[in-house]
Amino acid sequence: MSPLRLRQLDLSLPERHLLQDLSLDLHGGLCTLLTGANGAGKSTLLRIVAGLTPANRLALPDLGGSTPRGAARRLRGLVTYIHQHPFMFRGPVRDNLLLALPWSLGYRARARRVDEALEWAELTHLRRNDAGGLSGGERQRLSLARAWLRGSPYLLLDEPTSNLDTASRERLRALLQVLLEKGHGLMIATHDPTHFRFAGCAHLHLADGRLRLAAPAGKDDETQGACA
Amino acid sequence: MTEAIIQALQMLLAGDPTLWDIVGVSFRVSLVALTISLVPGLAIAALLAFARFPGRRLAVSLFNAMLSIPAVVVGLTFYLLLSRHGPLGEWRLLFTQTAMVAGQVALSLPILVAMIHTALQELDPRAWETTRTLGAGALRATLILLREVRFALLAAVIAAFGRIIAEVGSAMMLGGNILGYTRNITTAIALETSKGAYAQGIALGLVLLLLSFSLNAGLHWLQGRSRLQPEYLA
Ligand SMILES: Nc1ncnc2c1ncn2[C@@H]1O[C@H](COP(=O)(O)OP(=O)(O)OP(=O)(O)O)[C@@H](O)[C@H]1O
Ligand SMILES: [Mg+2]
Repeated sequence: MSPLRLRQLDLSLPERHLLQDLSLDLHGGLCTLLTGANGAGKSTLLRIVAGLTPANRLALPDLGGSTPRGAARRLRGLVTYIHQHPFMFRGPVRDNLLLALPWSLGYRARARRVDEALEWAELTHLRRNDAGGLSGGERQRLSLARAWLRGSPYLLLDEPTSNLDTASRERLRALLQVLLEKGHGLMIATHDPTHFRFAGCAHLHLADGRLRLAAPAGKDDETQGACA
Repeated sequence: MTEAIIQALQMLLAGDPTLWDIVGVSFRVSLVALTISLVPGLAIAALLAFARFPGRRLAVSLFNAMLSIPAVVVGLTFYLLLSRHGPLGEWRLLFTQTAMVAGQVALSLPILVAMIHTALQELDPRAWETTRTLGAGALRATLILLREVRFALLAAVIAAFGRIIAEVGSAMMLGGNILGYTRNITTAIALETSKGAYAQGIALGLVLLLLSFSLNAGLHWLQGRSRLQPEYLA
């Protein structure tokens, strides 16, 4: 599968030039880690890549989309973004999954797919529970199951382990491994890059509005950020 | 006076046909008006909350301002439009239930728009983003979010119904208080009591009072529910 290529990605805020003419490639089946200090713009970058926030400038050489809004629309068709604290809609866990599937599928097919997703994310025992009552780890898994149902080629996760215990982190990692094996491209913003050592991970560091290829394994200290 | 009250209770309990006809007119007109204004109300509220277009802020303040237009002024406006020499005089709608419905649509629409718009605005921005990133188009996303604010939505419907079932000014001017046709609870109380029909006025007043109390209780309960975000329950 050809990569998702983003070029000239640029965003200025009133006070700061937050993202400066960035280039970024995402590949199916591979994982990109994104580190950076608080406020460096990681979340903002992910939201732009997911087409949720329009950039001031953005070119998609393979997709077209000449205006930033047009580009955002294209990206929304390819990318799913998972918030650091995923939003739970009122109502049971099951309903939170149903809304990730198109109506055109028909109710029976949707119900079957939701059951599969529940099983995949180990949430079957909670399917009738109120989603608002889930724990942090369960919410993270539910949002992953929603993304799994949506089936976008690329998944972006914003600090997915920020408030998970060790067991939940491991579970999440295992699920992400499955997604990678199925050919999804992942991009993960994190302060803990050592946790996501998947095969063939690229590690990018965002500082002063620019992306740098960070040093490989062992040197993930945030203050380093070796140039490529 | 006590005599009139006893008589009123007798009328209510015995199912006095004229009385319940009048109550029926009120309910029919107000329910039809509410139904008609519901879909445009939802659509306008969603547009104001999610679409970005020039004049949006102005439109929001316009609908908020419309909240405070007195019913009698709405009545007057439609009266001038519908009266024999008015621009829509040929439609011959003055003093019909249709005219009453039109006036009440104009009264309930701003309430629906303002309350639903507020609810959608207060919704967590992640809700909209989540629906979009999961592939919902603008229409599906809007429906998901309306479902998300369903308690606030029901509260808006109750508030709108409460306003139009209890309004006098517009129903009086546009309906004309014709017995068996456009005489409803409020016009009957206002116009018939002055002719000495105390018992009927009291009976209808009791019906309206009971209705208002229950609508208010429902509204109060719903507003409590709609504030209990699942996020805070966790
Ligand atoms: N729409 C906006 N308007 C103004 N400022 C914004 C906007 N969006 C983001 N910012 C600012 O951009 C900066 C980067 O925010 P962002 O959330 O992307 O950082 P981050 O790298 O994800 O930080 P953290 O590690 O704390 O999550 C912050 O200073 C934030 O206040
Ligand atoms: Mg962030």
